[in-house]
Amino acid sequence: MRYLLQRLGFYILAFLVAVTINFFLPRMMPGDPIQSFLARLAQNGGQITPETVTALESLYGYSSSTPLWQQFFSYLYSILNGEWGISTRFFQPVVDVLGRGMLWTLLLVGSFLVLSYTLTTLGGIWVAWKRGSRIDSFVTVGSVVVSSIPAVVMALLLYFIFASDLGWFPTGYAYDPALDPAFTWEFISSVLYHLALPLMAMVLLAMGNIMGMRSNMINQLGEDFIVMGWAKGVPDRNVMLNYGARNAILPVVTAFAMSVGGIFAGSLIIEIIFNYPGIGQIMFQGMVARDYPLIQGYLLLMTLMVLSANMIADVLLLALDPRLRTAVL
Amino acid sequence: MKKLWYQFKEFFLNNPKAAIGMVLVLGICILCFFAPLFTDYLPNARIARPHEVPSADHILGTTRMGRDVWSQVIYGGRISILVGLVAGIFVMFMAMVVGISAGYFGGIVDNVLSFFTNVVMVIPSLPLMLVLASYLDQVSPLVIAVIIGATSWPFGARVIRAQTLSIRNRDFIHAAEVMGESRRRMVFFEVMPNMLAILGSSFISTVIYAIMTEATLEFLGLGDPLSVTWGVMLYNAQQTSAIRIGAWWEILAPSMALASLAIGLALVNFSIDEISNPKLRAQKIMAKFRREQAKEDKARQAAISTNKALEGVA
Repeated sequence: MRYLLQRLGFYILAFLVAVTINFFLPRMMPGDPIQSFLARLAQNGGQITPETVTALESLYGYSSSTPLWQQFFSYLYSILNGEWGISTRFFQPVVDVLGRGMLWTLLLVGSFLVLSYTLTTLGGIWVAWKRGSRIDSFVTVGSVVVSSIPAVVMALLLYFIFASDLGWFPTGYAYDPALDPAFTWEFISSVLYHLALPLMAMVLLAMGNIMGMRSNMINQLGEDFIVMGWAKGVPDRNVMLNYGARNAILPVVTAFAMSVGGIFAGSLIIEIIFNYPGIGQIMFQGMVARDYPLIQGYLLLMTLMVLSANMIADVLLLALDPRLRTAVL
Repeated sequence: MKKLWYQFKEFFLNNPKAAIGMVLVLGICILCFFAPLFTDYLPNARIARPHEVPSADHILGTTRMGRDVWSQVIYGGRISILVGLVAGIFVMFMAMVVGISAGYFGGIVDNVLSFFTNVVMVIPSLPLMLVLASYLDQVSPLVIAVIIGATSWPFGARVIRAQTLSIRNRDFIHAAEVMGESRRRMVFFEVMPNMLAILGSSFISTVIYAIMTEATLEFLGLGDPLSVTWGVMLYNAQQTSAIRIGAWWEILAPSMALASLAIGLALVNFSIDEISNPKLRAQKIMAKFRREQAKEDKARQAAISTNKALEGVA
């Protein structure tokens, strides 16, 4: 319990640091968002009155008259209350805008996690078991090669070949816009059809995880308790899964928590290229329009996601590794 | 000299992955840094009609702006590789300073540094880079390298810290302490040489990461659209909807360049891992051993069966 509380304390601190960065960044950067907004307004022939400036300041939560620390605490207060500002691109609260895309991103990332981790973990266990064989060298080299292709390149090529050129997969949207969202087979199959290609790109990009599992597993297979298992006459399958894999999977769980940030970053690129309407694409639209509240809201949301993934991993590790439990008690 | 060459040849024959990786990386570096030797055109000169199909004159076709794609690829590679190297050096420097001091000095230094490492680690780096880059508004490749460096060091720092901790408690370190070596000497001559393999492989993975991230940031439109790099080429291709018109060469050329550089570096890295981790290497020797044993077994079986056959005849 103390272990979990300690971790929780760290997460709260880390979140505060992220909020602080978010608060100070726009105030330290040379490009003041208010000034750039005013410049754009002036370019388009809009009139700038003192009222516009105060309105903008309250929109961005800036003020030249109140002291910095006071601004910081009111910023913190509004963040904790779920008021993340108004998007200047969509003219809606940032929380609503991000919430709209969150469903699709969670669908994409969630199905990616299930599919990819099942594939790479089982693949890694199996390949480590068959180490030194021809299949092993084929799979290891293949996964290194495939996963080192940059995400942008992989997504562009898949999109170009399968969606744009061959037309086997849709070129955008999360489901056929002619359909109404409903719990029917027609709708669900349309969603799955639109999900397939982005999902495939992400799974291919993460094939390198096979290597991590494989080297953990090989390290475990050299341990004495494996030999002991064989000597006792435990069946091969049992040694492989309950003796080797159970230990080899522990670093994978930690690595998973660390990689969640990277996974969401990957989904950002995938969503943009495949026109998949998740938060990544919304963030991209905001970025093009220099919608600072939205961009900052995205950073905060991503930090929250990574922190919660870490928390889940901590709990999972406690469940998987009895040694941690006794050490805590 | 001859002996050295022989060793070289042996090494690469035994490590085909390393050999392919080295050939890819060196080949690309030579093409990029001696670019004027391999093309007659300048990357930013308008030399043909827009979107010309690849031909003998323009081996990779031309862009929407009528620029030669091949010359853009090899000139653009220079900046992409340099950004990768600069960011890689930056990251390794930060990671080494933080990791080694945290691991070696321990105590409160370790606590403070580890806390900062962990905090920077849980703040997702690509979104942070996007925020930074969008505030700076269309940044030059060098600034991108610095942004990548400033946000991506924690992972390496953690690995190096763990390694330092494990080295710190070995006997030769205690011996050196007893002999009264200075702290500087301890860090640079006792601790650091023992992690060269780890430093090398994390340097290479950082370079891969930096090159990919630079391309990503520029593809998203955060780079300077006038500079010629692989990321900007992809961005321009996307902007001029090369995909929809079917100008595949404009997308394919920078993609292939990025992918082959990344694959080459990854293969080199993979073989460093294999060379420095004896457990991963042992299986190769074991496989050879097993193959030879199987051959011997077969030979023995054959001998026995011929013997039996002979006996039968007799």
